[in-house]
Amino acid sequence: MKFVLVDKIVNILPGKEIQTVKNVSLSEEYLADHFPTFPVLPGVFLLQGLVESACWLVRESENFAHSMVLLAQAKNVKYKSFAAPGMNIQYTVTAKDIEETISSFTGVGECNGQPIVEARFSLRHFNLAEQDSRLAAEDAYIIEKLKERMKLLTGF
Amino acid sequence: MGMTREQILVEVQSVLVEALGVDEEEVTPDAALMSDLGAESIDFLDIIFRMEKAFGIKIPREELFPAESLLSNSEYVSNGKLTHQGLMELKKRMPHSDLSAFAEDPSVNKIGDLFTVDVLVGFVDAKLNAKA
Repeated sequence: MKFVLVDKIVNILPGKEIQTVKNVSLSEEYLADHFPTFPVLPGVFLLQGLVESACWLVRESENFAHSMVLLAQAKNVKYKSFAAPGMNIQYTVTAKDIEETISSFTGVGECNGQPIVEARFSLRHFNLAEQDSRLAAEDAYIIEKLKERMKLLTGF
Repeated sequence: MGMTREQILVEVQSVLVEALGVDEEEVTPDAALMSDLGAESIDFLDIIFRMEKAFGIKIPREELFPAESLLSNSEYVSNGKLTHQGLMELKKRMPHSDLSAFAEDPSVNKIGDLFTVDVLVGFVDAKLNAKA
């Protein structure tokens, strides 16, 4: 299955903040083992929701300058409540600083005001061509796909 | 070789710092592993392994973090809360913890708050004393 941990971008303030949502669905395959009679979204996927939200904020803010926007560090991660199927998780990620190749954020995930997850983390951004100029075409392709995905996330 | 609770706490702190990437100051006795220190499912395996090495004890997974096997059993969990059976089972596995406040609203979301650093220390203490 595809791993997409953010379903929709609700609001975006370039350079500053992004709000997204993720609906937890019983049909997410990893829930079958986590846990068999008590399915809940694994903590790392709650963190991934925050990270993906921040990645979209970076891409929008830097106008998709980099194909690679990756997690560099996560700290002070706290899991306050479980996220079960049927829940709608609202992520709010606030940028502390977005520079050309690095950025840092604080993020919160809530469901109807109930805190689910909190974290502070930073991302790093680069293009593959910086390491190998032959990969410039790959960068372009990836960026094009990301732009299409962004349209899906903001469209409705 | 007897270890005092203080000595055990120091070792447990160092295990959690390495496993969770938190600062030592954050690992206070009443810090909850999930809601304060950010531990989740994949961290528990790491924590158990490191504690086994640090203290020379064997820790079957269900023993240290009963939450996971409790949550997987439909006799123990219903509608997001522990059933009476589930509560009894939890008390059996955490004999040294005061579960009275939790028992008033045994919501599974609050199980995370029960597992504090101090509970880990108590667990190791009991294991080491049983060995001696």
